[in-house]
Amino acid sequence: MKIQQLFGMGVLLMLICEAVWSTPLPDADEIARRINARDEGVAVARSLTMRLTDRRGKTRTRETRAFRKYYGKEKRTVIFYLKPANVRNTAFLTWDYPQADKDDDQWLYLPAMRKVRRISASDRGDYFLGTDLTYEDIKLETRVSMNDYRRKTTGEDEVDGHHCYLLESIPVDEDTARELGYGRVEQCVDSEIWMVRRSRFWDIKGKPLKTSYFRDIRKVQGIWTQHRIEVENHKSGHRTLFLFRDVDYEHGVSDDLFTQNALRRGL
Amino acid sequence: MSEKQRSAVAWRLFWKITAYPKTVITVGLTIILVCAVFVPTLVKDTRSDAFLPDDEAALIDRDKVKAIFGLTDPMVVAVVNEGPLGVFNPHTLKLVDWLTKEIARLDNVDPDRVTSLATENNITGYDEGMLVEPFWETPPSTQAEANKIRKAVMNFPLYVGSLAATGGEGTLIVAEVADQTRAQALYRDLLALADRAPLMDGEEIHVAGEGAVSGYLGSYIDADAQRLNPLAAIIISAILFIAFRTLRGVLLPNFIVVATVAAAIGLMAAFGVRFFVITNGLLPVLIGIAVADSFHIFSQYYEEQARHPGDSPREIVVRTMMHMWRPITMTTLTTMAGFLGLYLASVMPPMKYFGLFAMIGVAAAWLYSVTVLPAWLSLLRPKPSPAYRPAVKAGAYRRDVFARAMTVFGHAVLRRPAVVLGMAAVVGGVGVYGALHLELNESRIRVFQKDESIVRADSAINRLFDGVHYLDIMIETAEREDLFKPENLKRIEAMQDYLETLPHVGGSTSLVDYLKQMNRSLNEGRSDAYVLPDNKELVAQYFLLYSASGEPDDFQEEVDYDYRLANVRISMDSGKYSDEKAVVEAAQQYIDQSFNASGIQATLSGRVNVDYHWIKRLGETNWGSVGLALLMVWLMAALAFRSIVGGFITVAPVTLTVLLVYAVMAFSGIWLSISTSMFAAIAIGLGVDFAVHTIERLEVLLSDKHRTLDESIAALFPSTGRALLFNFLALALGFGVLATSKVVVLQEFGSIVALAVTVSFFTSLTLLPAIVKVFRPRFMGLSRQVGDTVQAASLDPAGKESKA
Repeated sequence: MKIQQLFGMGVLLMLICEAVWSTPLPDADEIARRINARDEGVAVARSLTMRLTDRRGKTRTRETRAFRKYYGKEKRTVIFYLKPANVRNTAFLTWDYPQADKDDDQWLYLPAMRKVRRISASDRGDYFLGTDLTYEDIKLETRVSMNDYRRKTTGEDEVDGHHCYLLESIPVDEDTARELGYGRVEQCVDSEIWMVRRSRFWDIKGKPLKTSYFRDIRKVQGIWTQHRIEVENHKSGHRTLFLFRDVDYEHGVSDDLFTQNALRRGL
Repeated sequence: MSEKQRSAVAWRLFWKITAYPKTVITVGLTIILVCAVFVPTLVKDTRSDAFLPDDEAALIDRDKVKAIFGLTDPMVVAVVNEGPLGVFNPHTLKLVDWLTKEIARLDNVDPDRVTSLATENNITGYDEGMLVEPFWETPPSTQAEANKIRKAVMNFPLYVGSLAATGGEGTLIVAEVADQTRAQALYRDLLALADRAPLMDGEEIHVAGEGAVSGYLGSYIDADAQRLNPLAAIIISAILFIAFRTLRGVLLPNFIVVATVAAAIGLMAAFGVRFFVITNGLLPVLIGIAVADSFHIFSQYYEEQARHPGDSPREIVVRTMMHMWRPITMTTLTTMAGFLGLYLASVMPPMKYFGLFAMIGVAAAWLYSVTVLPAWLSLLRPKPSPAYRPAVKAGAYRRDVFARAMTVFGHAVLRRPAVVLGMAAVVGGVGVYGALHLELNESRIRVFQKDESIVRADSAINRLFDGVHYLDIMIETAEREDLFKPENLKRIEAMQDYLETLPHVGGSTSLVDYLKQMNRSLNEGRSDAYVLPDNKELVAQYFLLYSASGEPDDFQEEVDYDYRLANVRISMDSGKYSDEKAVVEAAQQYIDQSFNASGIQATLSGRVNVDYHWIKRLGETNWGSVGLALLMVWLMAALAFRSIVGGFITVAPVTLTVLLVYAVMAFSGIWLSISTSMFAAIAIGLGVDFAVHTIERLEVLLSDKHRTLDESIAALFPSTGRALLFNFLALALGFGVLATSKVVVLQEFGSIVALAVTVSFFTSLTLLPAIVKVFRPRFMGLSRQVGDTVQAASLDPAGKESKA
């Protein structure tokens, strides 16, 4: 047997072994559990720049400082606008309750009126502050919802050089789909740090709706943190860019921030 | 070249054509086939925008504004219940909810872009804050709940008149169309949905919208034209049969029809010219033109056969063509000149192309009539027509009943030429009066008959709601976020207040209305808070708040992303030009005198403004285009008869025709509109043939100095007169068929053109002989002295003519 033939047989053997013993794709629910098991920090303070671009390329840029804190399963969020000047100190406060049947509470402070006003809760599928992310997207942050979808692992892919599993999620029923505004979601989940690096969404009729990329992921105080979210809506041509800076999981998130008084006081 | 030389050339030419008849026919067939190959590539274009040239300023402005604000022409479904409770009862609201969900499911509808009471939020203020919630989560099950919804909707000014009828008798479901080119299919889907909707007594569903109208318009007119055009062809064939009573006399002219239509439509397709709604009117015109030459050639052909029964087919054909090539060439040139006038003077592409391809059709009909037709006839064994039987006397033929009727008619004209001239003067006077009282107007919905569902939908929606005819006003400020400035907003508010006082303006919407609503909601819902906020920051913060509850592009129809440009949409309940004109002119005057200032400018846009501009332009250019068509015909006729006076005499009958057409339109209330503006040019193109044939034949007859003037004129009637009679009957009845159309515009087209042909025929055969008899024009070889006639000759003019 010649050397080349031996070599050829070796390669063949390797290919067969690869095919027979290669690890099967991980279970989808297992992937979802791993995503949700990640540490997100109890509290976080961060600066958020929102850059919104309409289909004609015109942009609106808003600078904010945002805070979030978990109280058990209850989640409180407050966002203060810093720029542009004419909306400076406008602020939104939200208390999300874990009970499904209890509506969230939301308050708004308009400095030009000098009044805090309670505003009604938003639906999960509503768009968040004029961005291409929905309230549900914002609420979940880096997590995934366990109850809304049936999911399966459909393959592997690579995003920005990172290997990831493709997770396909279909809403459990039509009402849920209509509520969320999605008929199908495909996420590319990093197989090392269990964070979503890309999401694709289809509307309830199966038409491509939007694509999000989660980028500039690095550790802050030991927690994997995304610093850049890019979303493009394929139907409207509208785009959203979120840039996070000065992320801090350890300092500066006092309980007083999540009150109506804090809205009036401003930052 | 002298007359003699020209005759010699013509003789050689026709002798040659008949020498290789099969080759000529083969070439003719090949050309038809080549042209026909392109026909399937024809592209239809039924958009109302297609009537405007692409560089029309109003259209460019409109498209710019549409692009900036993402405006579309949506489908509108109206649910109407004119019972005591209106639509605010459990059953009807459930129906609205059901329809909204079903419409969102339809193909070509973006489910996020369906708007109705079932999708929109009610925004209310209370002491602690503001509540944004749907009017219902599940449709109400009791009347009490329905009453609450009615109260909520009626308390929301932005929805009253637009989403809900002011009196509560109706509500709209508005669906944006994803792909406008498939709007017609969506319209059908919506009608089907309306059919299977569970309706209670008193409930009605209407479907409307610009997308629906233009799509429907196309298929509606097409279907009708496809039914009527063949009918017109059958009628014309029947007339051909009555005239000649032979198979060849019916089939060969139809062959020329095929060639003419193939040439015109095939070339249209080959050059990528689209088939517009009014191109449907080109087909009967082409058919009419194509057979006209045949009537004259066949009349002569059978006359020749009857006079010289023993001659060879080739001799008969060549002699026929020697008689006929000159008049049919002249009528071809004058008709082409008329359509050239239409082509040159029209501003609208469909009419320009109508003129151009009618010219091409006329040329093709002529070409086939002087080549393929004689070639084909030379192959056929002479077979006399029962209408032209040889007389006992050699070289003559017996006149049939039509020829005898025309002779009687001719004698009547010759007896009372002054009466004829007097009548013509009266007709002309009435025509001028009518033309001056013609009303320029247009209304797209008028195309359809009153009982069509689209007409009922349009009238219901315009009656109950603010209206679906939009005048958009684009506001442009100097700097980004200038629209936050209260002084700019107040200016817009004042303009809206003024415009809403104008007749047919149902309402208006702009960012001002949203800001007022927001101000009220954040001030405990007090109705006295329905005012504009008075500082810039508050406006900015309201918009931010609005974006918190809306979609990223929620405001795109009212304001651009920089808050520099805004759109004010004025809803009108009428699509009639005269109503639109009043509003557009008042709005423009207000903008110029009260609105525009440094740093803020307003520009009119929207469909209403586009319609106003081009229909106005149509009115301004109409007389020019008619005048140009007449001028071209005059020029061509003057050249052909080598006489300026000859030119005037030729255009006299068509001028009277045009005046009478306008008078009939004015007195019967037919507007000068997009479609009717072409009637005059078509009437000129078709009608001038009668005059040219008459004058040409009179010229020939008068050159025979062996007859008195009266005898020469009388000789016109049984021969050329008879051919013209059948030509006239074919056109009048062929177009008359169109008068039975379901499309109002085609009815008018058919009846007016039929009328025009009738007037042209009668004036040509009455006025022209009367003019010749009374004024003795010199270009016909007549001198001014009365009684210079040569000695009397045979009373049978045909006998004389056979010498030719």
